[in-house]
Formats: sequence, structure tokens, C-alpha cells
Amino acid sequence: MTADQVTRALTAAVPGLQPELRPRSVGVRTPVEVPELWVDVPREGLVPAVAALKAAGPLHISVISGRDTGEGIELLYHFTVGYGTPGGEVTVTLRVTVSKSDPVLPSICGLLPGAETAEREKIEFLGVEFTGIPSTAHVFLPDDFPGYPWRKDDPETAKLVNRLVEWEGKNG
Amino acid sequence: MAETQNVYEIPIGPIHPALKEPIRFTFQVEGERIRGVDIRAGFAHRGIEFMAMKRNLIQTLYLSERICGICSISHPITITLAVERAAGIEVPPRAQYLRVIYSELERIHSHLLWAGVAAHELGFDTLLHLTWKVREQVLDLLEELSGNRIDYALPIYGGVRRDVSPEQTPKVEAMVRYYRGLLDELLDAFLRDPSVEARTRDVGILTSEEADSLCAVGPTARASGLSKDVRQDRPYLVYGELGVKAITPRDYGLEPRGDVYDKAVVRLLEVAQSLDLIETCLYEMPEGEITSFPKVPALLAYLKKVEGEGLGWHEAPRGEVIHYIRLEAGVEEPIVWKVKAPTYSNLMSWVPMFRDQEVADIPIIAASIDPCMCCMDRVHVVRDGSPATVLKEDLLRLSRAKTERMVGGSRLSASGPRSTAHGRRTTDNGQRTPDHGGGL
Repeated sequence: MTADQVTRALTAAVPGLQPELRPRSVGVRTPVEVPELWVDVPREGLVPAVAALKAAGPLHISVISGRDTGEGIELLYHFTVGYGTPGGEVTVTLRVTVSKSDPVLPSICGLLPGAETAEREKIEFLGVEFTGIPSTAHVFLPDDFPGYPWRKDDPETAKLVNRLVEWEGKNG
Repeated sequence: MAETQNVYEIPIGPIHPALKEPIRFTFQVEGERIRGVDIRAGFAHRGIEFMAMKRNLIQTLYLSERICGICSISHPITITLAVERAAGIEVPPRAQYLRVIYSELERIHSHLLWAGVAAHELGFDTLLHLTWKVREQVLDLLEELSGNRIDYALPIYGGVRRDVSPEQTPKVEAMVRYYRGLLDELLDAFLRDPSVEARTRDVGILTSEEADSLCAVGPTARASGLSKDVRQDRPYLVYGELGVKAITPRDYGLEPRGDVYDKAVVRLLEVAQSLDLIETCLYEMPEGEITSFPKVPALLAYLKKVEGEGLGWHEAPRGEVIHYIRLEAGVEEPIVWKVKAPTYSNLMSWVPMFRDQEVADIPIIAASIDPCMCCMDRVHVVRDGSPATVLKEDLLRLSRAKTERMVGGSRLSASGPRSTAHGRRTTDNGQRTPDHGGGL
């Protein structure tokens, strides 16, 4: 598996994508270049892009990272394509941004059932929604947890932190 | 799940004798057969990623070490790789080899810990005690090299904090020899024992197709026959040059079945692989600097100016660890720090593994993926049949005294865990307290 093959697969599936190659030099005696691709994907391009990655080689999702950018929510899907190829895995990160007024994305669990934990975690922590996800139950936080901890504009989390700090002050 | 009237729900956990760490399973059982399971995690959720948003990167590094008591090298190594990538920091060659040595030492102690736990879950406590007794040797070496049994504080952005000195090299070699001599005995005790085989063969099966689609990682995936190992597939540090090969049951001459037995095969063979890697690194390691930023204030000042993002990955004892970090110029705290530990990826694998299994096999199946545990109980001491409670202050003093003895003298081999010839003293309230740490 090479970065070129993955780039071609992605651009054929979703026209207009511009994957950025960020190779890293690894090793001491005989350094090799380990390919890493980063690409911005529009919301509607997510499922076709993942399908293209899956068709390109054994696909593994490590995790989905995310952050509150102020105006929207940015999700980073960290994949490896060619999973299990000695020295030949390509790390691919798909960056999808959604607005806070419409934080809905398609679930990729249909293509990759192993993505479920990562998607459910994002529902709890960032308040996004995934259409077509098998379960939306909380994984890590209590069912009645107020707010979304990774949102910067979430007053409930701020209140919770203040209560904790106050409690620690009394008991610490 | 079959919809019959004979299906009952049994909750196991969050706190249950079969579990070493809190998690809640809700089993649907029909007689003794498990028909389905619902898993709920989060009982030990501490909000570490959230805490990092309020801490600078050095504090975050120490925080990363406390994610897991066992993987207290894997997480710091992964976050340093991510930050070094984001900040463009080079790691000196010697430090890269040292990181590999420390990681493999951690793998040995983690796999031996698992083997002991697995024996215990099978009701074979003699084997638990034997395994954990021999595990002390690698923990002693880690204490010798770092000053601590766990939470070693070894990796730092740009390198490592401690070198392996010429005086320590023979001790590392002695440890390698010790485990090589023991390996056949361990394989005998686990893999050629009819009662262990009867309890683990064809129990808790994860097929290779399930492991693949559920994105299983580490020994859990390899036991199902998938030749996946981050050290082999996605080179980092010097692993690419060391020629690491993913170990599957085929290396033991068996066709992979993905059961608990295969998971034991993979982990025990990986102990031997780690010994080879440590030895190779010890001899191939070039001389030189061990960090590119010897002064922490300079490092912090540099990191504060960095703008960028990076990924770090590592094969921890339980499988792939991945950290994503995003840094902004002028801000000391990471904007985003996402940590993915191996159990996160293996969580879903439990569902097919439990299906149609017996209720009595729940403990060993739950333990088979090696869900991350931290059981370093050094507080309660039983000696000569009489228990004595050691207070936290005593424990700290005893630990320091032991480390000083180990680092100061060459008594590692002479005064191992068996040296009980030292005296005891009796406190005013009649409690007997050991006055040395050698026997802990």
C-alpha cells in the first residue's frame, strides 16, 4: 500500500479532495519514510471516502478525535489503510467539520462496525449526532451527565468543574 | 439473541469478584449459556483528556503516565511521539533505542501480570503465585533503571530522562538470561498443562473476520490469526530496523482459533520476543545524547511557541495506543489531546467472545483481552503467618530504602525478594512492622 494509491482512491471517490502528504522519516541506521495523509472531507463525502479506503485495503479505525472550534465541531477520523501490511500501513486522517446548529453526520458503522465505540464517545463528549448508528447509549459518562465536556461553550461542564474545585477545597 | 421465555438477565459488575477493574456486563443467559451481553464502561472515567486542557505539556506528560498503572511507559512514549511530530523535535538515536528497551521491559511485566491473572481466573492460584514471583525480576530491573516499580517518568519530549549506565548493563543481561531460562517452564505450566488446556481451548472465540471488522488490536487480534502489530506495520522509533514480526499461534505450530488458549500462546511468545529486542538494542545502541532538550524550561518555552498537530502511535502490551495532539502558539495547554488505549478498541470484541459460552467461563473470557488493570498492592504484608499493616509513610520510606540499596550496591541478585533474615520491630500497640523493604 502506498500513499499514492490511497490518494487516487480518495480523489476518485470524492472529487475535489486534496489529500496532504506529511511523510515522517523513521529510523536511525536506515531511515524509511512513513506516509501519513491528512485530508479535509465535506460531510456528504465521508461515507464514500471511507468506502474507498475500505476498498483500497484492510481498513482499521484507531479513533475519532474532535474539538470545538468555536463556530463548529471538527472531527478527525484516524484510519490506517493496509492494516497488517508489514511496513506498509498508510495512516489517513479525515477531517470533517459540522456546524453547531446542525451537528449531524452519517455513521460509518455500516462499513466498519469497529467504529461504534468512537462514534458513541463523540455523542457524549461533543453533542454530535450520527445517523444510522446501531446504538446511541453512553459508553463513558453517566446517562444523566449534564452537557458535553469538550464543548467550550458548555455552561453545565463549567458548573461541574467549579463544584468539584469547591469540593476539593473543602476535603483536600 | 433468541427470544425465548427462558432468557434471564444477570448483571456482573461494576464491582464483582470476577473483575479486577470496574465495568458492567449485563448477560442474557439461558440456563448456563450466555445468549447476549451488554457492556457498559466508564466507572473509572477520570476525565484525563479534559484535565489536560488546563495543564501545560510537561504536566500533561506526567498525567499521561497515570492513565494506566501498567502502561506507564506506553502512554508517555505515545504522547511524546505525537508532540515531537507536532513540534518538529528530533530524538537522538540513543534515546530511540532506550525507549524501545523500556517499552519491552514493560511488555514483559505486563504479559506476566496477565498470565498470573489468567491462572487465577481459572482457579489455578499456584500458577498465579509462581508467575507473579518471577515477574518481580523485571520490576526490580525497572526500579533499578528508573527508581520506581511503576510510573517511571522516563520519556520526555525530545528523548528520555535516564540512560542505562555501563554498570546497569550486566543487570539487564542477567534479567534476559533469567527469563530465557524460565521460558520453557512457563510454556510448560500454561500451554502443556491438560487442566489449563481444558479450561481455555475453544473458550471465548474471536474469529479472524470478527477481529478484523471490529478493529481489534494487539494480542487479541493476533490470537485470531491476524498478523497485526504496530511495531511491524507502522514503523516508529527503531522498531522498523529491528525486524519485529507479529506473533500469532502459527509461530507455536498451531492453526489460530482465537480462543483464550491462543491468547496465552501469543503473550508468552511475546515475552521471548521482547527479550531478544532488549538484547539487540543493548548491543546496537550508539553512544550519545539521550535528549535534545536537557533543560526543561527551554523545552517548555519552545513548546509554547509551537503551532501544529501530530499523531503518535505505539504497540502497548495490549495493542495499539494512539494519541492525537493539537498545539497552538502562545498557549501552554494542548488544545486537543485524544488518547486511545487498546482496551477501547477491544471492547466490542467481547460481544462475540461471550456468545454461547458458559456462565462459569465469564471471568477468564473477560480477562482474556487483558483489560487494563492496576493491582500493585504493596500495603498489606503477611509474614510468618501474621498479618501486619504498613502505613503509607512507612511504605514510602521502605520503598526508597529498597531503591537506594538496589541502585547503590550490587545486591540485586543477592538480596532478592526472598531475603527475610532481617529483623522486625514491635510497635507500642503491639503491631509488628517490618523495618526493611527487602521482603515486600
